Order: sequence, then C-alpha cells, then structure tokens
Amino acid sequence: MAAEYILEMRDITKRYGENTVLSGVSLKIRPGEIHALLGENGAGKSTLMNVLFGMPVIHATGGFDGEVLVDGQATHIASPHDAMNKGIGMVHQEFMLLPGFSITENIKLNREITRPNFVSRMLGKSMETLDMGAMSHDARSALDSVGMSIDEYTRVAGLPVGYMQFVEIAREIDKSGVKLLVFDEPTAVLTESEATQLISVMKEIASKGIAIIFITHRLDEVMAAADSITILRDGKLAATRAIAETSIVDLAELMIGRKGEGVVSVKSRPVPQGKTAMKVRDLVVDMPGEEVNGVSFDVVEGEILGIGGLAGQGKIGIPNGVMSLYPVEGSVELFGEPLKLGSAGDALRSGIAMVSEDRKGVGLLLDQSIEDNIVFNAMQIKGEYLVKFGPFTNKNDREIRAIAEKMIKDLDIRCFGPTQHAGTLSGGNQQKVCIARALAMNPKFLFVSEPTRGIDIGAKSLVLETLVKLNREHGMTIVMVSSELQELRSICDRIAIVSEGKLIDILAPNASDADFGLAMSGIKPSEHAQKGADEA
Amino acid sequence: MTKNKTRIIIAALLVVAALAAIVLGVMNLPNRTNATGAQIIDTLRIRTLLDATGAGVVDSYVAIAKKEATAAAKAAGGGMAAIREAVAKAEEETRAKYSGTQTDYSTLDTTALTAAVADYAALLAEHDAVAVAAENAYIAENMAAAEAAAKAEREAKIAAGEEVGEETEVTVDMSGFVATEEMTAAKAKADAQYEAVGAALQGIYPVLDASALNTLKGTIESIVYTRGDTFTAQYDRYVAAGSEEALDNKGAAFVVRYADDLIYVGAALLIAALVVLFSELLVRKLGIPRVIIGLFFILLCFMCLLYDLSLPTLLSNAVVRMGMNSIMVLAMVPGIQCGISLNLGLPIGLVCGLIGGLVTIEMELPGVWGFLFAIAFGSALAAAAGWLYAQLLNRLKGEEMGVTTYVGFSIVSLMCIAWLVLPFKSLKLRWPLGTGLRNTIGLDSSNFSHILDDFLSFKIGSFDVPTGLLLFMALCCFAVWLFSRSKTGVAMQAVGNNPRFAEATGINVDKMRIIGTVLSTVLGAIGILVYSQSYGFMQLYTAPRQMGFIAASAILIGGASTTRCKISHVIIGTFLFQGVLTLGMPVANVLVPGSTISETLRILISNGIILYALTKSGGASRG
Repeated sequence: MAAEYILEMRDITKRYGENTVLSGVSLKIRPGEIHALLGENGAGKSTLMNVLFGMPVIHATGGFDGEVLVDGQATHIASPHDAMNKGIGMVHQEFMLLPGFSITENIKLNREITRPNFVSRMLGKSMETLDMGAMSHDARSALDSVGMSIDEYTRVAGLPVGYMQFVEIAREIDKSGVKLLVFDEPTAVLTESEATQLISVMKEIASKGIAIIFITHRLDEVMAAADSITILRDGKLAATRAIAETSIVDLAELMIGRKGEGVVSVKSRPVPQGKTAMKVRDLVVDMPGEEVNGVSFDVVEGEILGIGGLAGQGKIGIPNGVMSLYPVEGSVELFGEPLKLGSAGDALRSGIAMVSEDRKGVGLLLDQSIEDNIVFNAMQIKGEYLVKFGPFTNKNDREIRAIAEKMIKDLDIRCFGPTQHAGTLSGGNQQKVCIARALAMNPKFLFVSEPTRGIDIGAKSLVLETLVKLNREHGMTIVMVSSELQELRSICDRIAIVSEGKLIDILAPNASDADFGLAMSGIKPSEHAQKGADEA
Repeated sequence: MTKNKTRIIIAALLVVAALAAIVLGVMNLPNRTNATGAQIIDTLRIRTLLDATGAGVVDSYVAIAKKEATAAAKAAGGGMAAIREAVAKAEEETRAKYSGTQTDYSTLDTTALTAAVADYAALLAEHDAVAVAAENAYIAENMAAAEAAAKAEREAKIAAGEEVGEETEVTVDMSGFVATEEMTAAKAKADAQYEAVGAALQGIYPVLDASALNTLKGTIESIVYTRGDTFTAQYDRYVAAGSEEALDNKGAAFVVRYADDLIYVGAALLIAALVVLFSELLVRKLGIPRVIIGLFFILLCFMCLLYDLSLPTLLSNAVVRMGMNSIMVLAMVPGIQCGISLNLGLPIGLVCGLIGGLVTIEMELPGVWGFLFAIAFGSALAAAAGWLYAQLLNRLKGEEMGVTTYVGFSIVSLMCIAWLVLPFKSLKLRWPLGTGLRNTIGLDSSNFSHILDDFLSFKIGSFDVPTGLLLFMALCCFAVWLFSRSKTGVAMQAVGNNPRFAEATGINVDKMRIIGTVLSTVLGAIGILVYSQSYGFMQLYTAPRQMGFIAASAILIGGASTTRCKISHVIIGTFLFQGVLTLGMPVANVLVPGSTISETLRILISNGIILYALTKSGGASRG
C-alpha cells in the first residue's frame, strides 16, 4: 500500500516581498477523499494552489518555504506541466476549452492518440495521423464516468455552461495516472440541479481512489460533499475538521473570525430611523463578473449602509447599476422621486454621487490636474465653475482654485499643489481626489465602492474617518460597498450581505461571525437557525 | 554619485575649452582691422603678387630664349625641323632654369612694391565704391519698370494657361548701364597708380617689359582688390593661391582669420557644457526627443555660422515655414484631445481647403475677401466631410491609427480622379490641353498669394518678419486654446483621456469624438489655405499625402503624446521640425557639395524626423 496521504503540504510559507500571504499552512489529503478548502477572498487559497501547481508566479517571486510530499515522497513541482505528470489535475473555474473543436478533440488536446504514416516516417512524430476511433473511445468512457450521455463528436461551441464544466472534468479524468483533482469553485456557474449532479460525480470519482480538493464558498455544498475540511484565514491555517465533527455554523464562524481591532473606532449609535432616502426594487444589473439578479432594499436617510459579500457575488454591481454605468433594470426611488435608470447623467443630476471602485479606470483623469478632476462633474453636470459669455463658456480659474484648495485642506490630500497631475499621486490620495470630486457636487446621497482597495493602512483610516465625518456632520446618506467586512462593521449602521447576485440578509454590525459567514455563503442566518430548530 | 561627478568634470572641461576659445577669438577679432591684420594681408598679398608675376617673368625669359634659339638655328642654316627642335630645347631649358630654382623671396626688397600696391588697392576700392553707388542708382531708377515687366509676363503666361515657375527675384537688365564720369576719373587714377606698381615690379624682375605688365594687369588687379573684400575674403583668396608660406607666424594669422568661428565654437561648447550639466533635468522636463532635436537645431545654427551661411535669412525662412505649417499641426490638437489620436486622415481637410481655394479662383474673387471666402467654403466642406469621417471612426474605436492612415491615403487617391473630372472652367486652373486641373496652380496678386505673409510685414536686417502670418497663427492657437477651456472642450478632453470616466459622468462619448474630428478637419482645410498662400501655389494630386505625417511628427517633436497635447507643443514642434528642415539643407549642401544630393537629403531629413517622432510618441513628461 502506498503512503497514507496522497498529498501532504507541510508548513507552507510564502512571501511577496514584505507581505506574508501564507504562513505555516499544512494540508493532508488521503486517497479517495474529498477535501474542502474554505476561506474568504484573500485568505490564501489561490496562493496555496499556485504553490501546489508550481506556477511561474511562485518561482518568479522567490519560491516558498515548506515541503510538498506526493505519495509520501518529497517532491519539487517545477511547473503546471510537471504537476500534471505527477498526477495532479485542475478543473478550472474559467473553462479552458476550444469552442470550435469537438468534445473528443478537447478531451484529448495535446495528448492525441496517433498512428505513424508515410509522411511521419520522414518528417517525424508531429506528422502522424490521428486515431480518431481510439480517441473517441477514450472520450466516451471519460464522459460516461462523469455521467454525461452527450455525443462525443458534438462541438463545444454552444454547449450549456454546465456541460462545459463536465467536459473539463472528463478531460482531467481521462489523463492516465491522475491521483488528485483540484476543483476551483466548480459550482459557481452551475444551476442547482447541475451542482447536485456535479457533487455526485465528484463522489463517484473519489470512490475510484482519486482524491479531490474542493474549493468553494458554499458551506451547504461542503457539508454535502466533503469528507474533511481545511479552513484558511488571513494566510494562516484556521482549522482542519472532519465532516462529522463540525457544523455549518462552526465553519462560518471559523471562516470569518475576528480580525484584530477595527480600522477606525466610531462611537456606536442607534440605527437612524427616518425617511427612506433610497428605495431599490428588483434591481438587475448586467455588470460582467458582478451580476446582480434582483435586489431590493431601502436606505434610511442619514445612515451609513454597508454592502458586503465575497468577490464576484454582485455587491459592486449595485452602485454601478443605480448609477447606470452598466445595463440595468428595476426601479429606484430617491427621496420619494423615481429615478430614471439608464443614464449616468440623470443619476448624477438627481443628486447621487459615486466614488468608483475602479479608481484608475473610471474614477480619475490621470493625465489632468487635481483641480480639473475635482470640478469635472460639477462643471459638466451642473455647469458650475464656468464663466459664460452668451453661448461661449470658459473655465473659472479662480473658483476652481478656491474649491480645490479647500478640498485639499479638508481631505488632507498630500500633493505639491492643485495643478499636480492626478496620475502622479499615491493610491490613497487619488481616492481622496475621487471623494473630493463627489463632494464638489454637493450630493444628497453618496455611493462609495471599495474605498480602501489598494491603499495603505494609514490612508485607509483617513478615508473611513472622512466618510464618518461627512455622515455625522453633514448628514449625508452613504452606501459603502467593501470586501473588507471589518471595515464595514466598524463604520456602518447596517450591513447588507450579497451572495450570487441576491441580497441574503441585512445584519447589524455587531452580529456574530457565524451569521456573517453563513450570509456570505448564501444562507440566511435566521432561516438556518429555524431549520436547525426544525431538525432538532 | 560618481556619475554626477563625471558629468561635472566633463562640463568643467568643456567650459574651460569654451572660455579659451572665446577669449582667443575676442582677443584676435579686432586684429583684422588694425595694423596686425593689415600686415598679414600685405605680406600675403605681396607674395601672391610676386608668385603671379613670377610666372609672367618665366614666360618672358622663355620668349627671349625661344627668339634667340630661332635666330641661332637660322644662322646655323638648319631646316624647319632643326629650328623646331632648337626652340623646344631652349624652352625646356629656360623653364627648368627659372622655375626649378625658386626665387628666394627673402632676398627681395619689396618695400617700394608694398607701398605702391597699398596705394593701388586703396584707389581700386575707391573706384569700386563709386561704381557700386552708380550701379545702385541705375537699378533703383529702373527697378519698378523691371518688376512690372516681370509681373506682366507672368500673368500673361498664367492667363494663357502656360506653366509658371516659382516666383524669382526680379533683376534689372544692366546692359544699358554706362560708366559715369566719376567712375572714369577714379579709374584713371587707379590706372596711373598701376604704372607705379609696374615700376616697382620691374625693380624686382628687370625682365618684365611693358607688354608683359599689360598682360598681367587683370591678374594683378583681381589679386589686389575684388568687390566686397573683407579680411577673411582676402585671406582665403591668398591662402588658396598658396601664399601662406610668406607669413612669419602662420598660427597667429590663422587665429585672426578664424577668430569669429572660435567665438562660435566657444559658445557651442558652453551650450554643450550646460546640456551635460543639466542633462537629467532637461530630459525629465522636455523628454529625450525634444532635447535631441533641439540640440540638433542648435548644432545646425552653429554650422550655418561656421560655413558663413546667412543665419538670419535661414531663420527667417524657418519662421515663415513654421507659420505656414502651424495651422495644419494645430489640427492635430482637437484630434488628440477627443481621443482619435493622431489625425493622419488630415488630407480630408486638406482637399476640402483646396476645393475652397479652387472655387475662389474660379469665381475670380480677389484679395482678402477671396481668401476669407476660400476659408469659409473650405471649412463648410470640411465640416461635412469631417462629420462623415467621425461616423467611421466612432464605429472603429481602438483602431484609429490604422483607420486614419488608410483614410488619409484613400482620400488622396480618390481625389486624384476627382481633380481630373471636376468641372472647373478657369484657364488658370485647367491644363491648357485636355481636361482636368493642373498639378500645381500658381497663385498671383489677383488671388490670395502671400495675403497673410505680406500683411504688416517688416524687415530686421535680413530677417523678414511675416507679421500677418504669425498673427493668424496666434489667433488660431488662441481660439483652440479658448475652446479647450470651454465646457465642451473640457468634456472632449475627458473623452480623449479616459472614455469610461467620461461615460460615467453622462458625457456622450461619440458626440465629443465627432466634435473633435470635425474641428480637426476644419483646421486642416484652413491650414492648407494658409500654407498655399504663403507658398504661392496650390498643389493638387498626391501633394497632400505626406502632409498628415508631417503635421503629426511636428506635434510629437513638440512633446505631445498620442493622447495628450498642448498648444505649446504645436508651436515648439513646428518650429523645430521646419527649422531643422530649412537649416539642414544648406548645411548638408556645404558638407556634401553636389547638386543632386540636396533633394535626396531633403527627403531623408524630413522622413527621418517623421520616423523618429513616431517612435517617440510617448511625449514629454507630465508637468
């Protein structure tokens, strides 16, 4: 009998420069076991898998510390191709299939079965004839093992997404000597019934002795499929559990955890009760990678509403949809007035401002000065900061300079002066320029999307304090979208959690970690509690 | 640190060399006009004179020997063959005797000759001054008539449908000029002095007789004095004749001759030192391309000075060419600002402008109003064509560089057909035979030739200031600058800078791109009219093909990038591009003498700059 563990990773530590992204993580997987790998965005799941597959990004940044054992033998995995030779396969989240090729050709790509012929005897192996019969036979048996009855000659183009996922899996299974398969969020794009089928296929594969690493954020699927679970948090090993000795609530709590102190400390206050500032109903936003599928919520005047959730689940789509930056459907009312969706100009004119998550993409004119950036919206939307002569207009330099200097002082933008180009500022200061531009509009309602992404810790707290100040002193209603739960919990009055394009629940900032963890994986905490009670 | 030190050391060395050259130059420059200079020239002049007359002396000896040999042979009773042989032998011997043993100049007493020659030179100069005055008076008297005649001839040619060349300077026919009495008197005086010179020469070479002196008169006169003589001209003339040997201190004389060039070299070295010292700052502020082209331009200026080319005239030409090209370069600005990058489809605007000009000539609209009509008509046409062009560009976002280039080329080719079939009737426009418009259409005073160039123009020395042209350029630049500060202008720049940002602010990206493209095309139409009025011709057919590239390169050299530009980039870039082109050609012609190379060089230089500019499309650093 071979070693007890088919794969063992011991004390893996990986640093990118000063930044430690993995520290002392260990992972043990038995043959035929389905092992779930859990963690929030940035917990270190992808880095761990990059280490396992010997991705170039790992080697290019100084390698890693620790040991990888395959079948009990210490192994150095030099490249993804090397990993494949050692029997480790990956089912990708984005399908790596050639749409114009048939299923058989895709399954056998670069591992074609060939026969020598007249030309190949002279010109070498690359000229050999494909043995389509043998290839189809192999493909058929691989497809059968994942429970797919589709004809192996069908072209991939036009297949439903779920089918493509299974073709990917069939391709991995077809590789001879595969011992370990990694499934990276395989159910993210599948319908519920497809997901159920996938889980049964996984179990079937596992029963043949192939071990599976199952990366997902859906806790119920973990409970349904996995034999054991490793949970990562902030690059550290949070826990390793067997399925029998854990529960969804336990997992949710382990996944979220308490991450140190809050970034800023804000005096807690009762949730404002008042008029509804914004009423969103059945919002559907077609933002690639952040689709929103029918979200409804109310924002109370004077509150800071947080919107949280894992990456790619649609939380960023909400502000972008309301601002009509992407195709949008549904209805939005602002202070009782219906808002016309579909025009960014109308949204801005109605008094909503937004600080975009994509600072360099849509947030700033990098080649223009700080002052031009700050007054841009007010000038274009409201016609302010202009001198008018009949039909002709000219920039009002004096007013522009005055507002820019005021903003630089109020928001503490570190720069050489208002004429410095926005592109030469640091990330935090660029973010402040974006906020200044939103404020120059004197908005009644402010969307802030990922305000602290990519800026250092000092700038983070300044940005958050600024938001709190605007809310408390000027009574501005703010909706803040962030991937950092801790940040939301420190300044928001209420936090809405979005998963798979749907609003799961609105929680109080002091709700338990378990509740947040459940909501993020798409389970409404109160319903889960109800279900638990029912089962009991 | 060490890099810095090396730089400072190199700069210091350059400064020392520069100061040495300047001090040497400044100290020696006055010597040209004082006694030292006079002595150098005298020494050289006497030696040249003696060399020239020496050759005459040998000829005299040969003639005497030949005569004697003939006589001797005849006396000996030889036949024709014997006489011929004797004469040849005598000539050979005599020539060998006198030219082989060079005259020992140090033993000759040239005091009398020097004095006589100096006086002779003075008298010749006096005569020349009188002659120049008389000739100028004659020219002034007859100039108006000559100009009128030239113009009449030209216009008659144009009206008759013949080809006319570029306008040349009018010259007065001098055949009717008669020497004045003053001139004759001065000439007589000079001739009298020549007798004295002849006597002094005979004192040195007794063999010279009157007839020999008479033969030598022209040679001696041209050695002693040539119109427009200066220290350098005389020095060069005598040194070319090989008289340098006569000087006691060749080095000192050399320094006096090249004193001005020493000062130029010194100044150039000073600039080089400054550049070395501040190289990093310069490169950071201006970007490498501008530094390199700028330095190349300065180098050309110094080379013009070194080769005694007229720098003010050349710079004046450069300024005119900057003015005539500037509007076309300005046309790049709205294009870059609205996000269609370099508008290499500029020929669309150019042909519209040309059509405007053609219609003006067809309708025989004269002067300023004709020019304004051409601009209005051309602009209207360009606005319509620009709108269509913008529709195309809006459907092919992201491919602008390729699309604009192809559109530019295609429109020129398409118009090649159009020029042949457009129904213009004027004989000024059509080929005299067959159908179609001419290749180049000469403009004259009845159209808008030089209408801007000549407006309020004035001269500073040999530097012509085309006031009207520069004013028009300034006006257009100001208008574009004002537009870029308007609400629409600001929105348009945002579209060019970051279309997604603009969209997020509710700006209609397509509309802004249309505005920018139309503006660019209209400016192209105005630009070609300004260019034509200054050039004096309208060029049809393939002429507009390269102009888009020239304009694009000029703005790139000025420091713009494919996404960002300022008005200053237009002015600096056009001046540098046209300056290098105008100065580069004469300098290249001096360096590589030969008539055919200049056209090749023109193409090499202009395409070289274009290529260089396109490789450096990153632009200057952010302010």
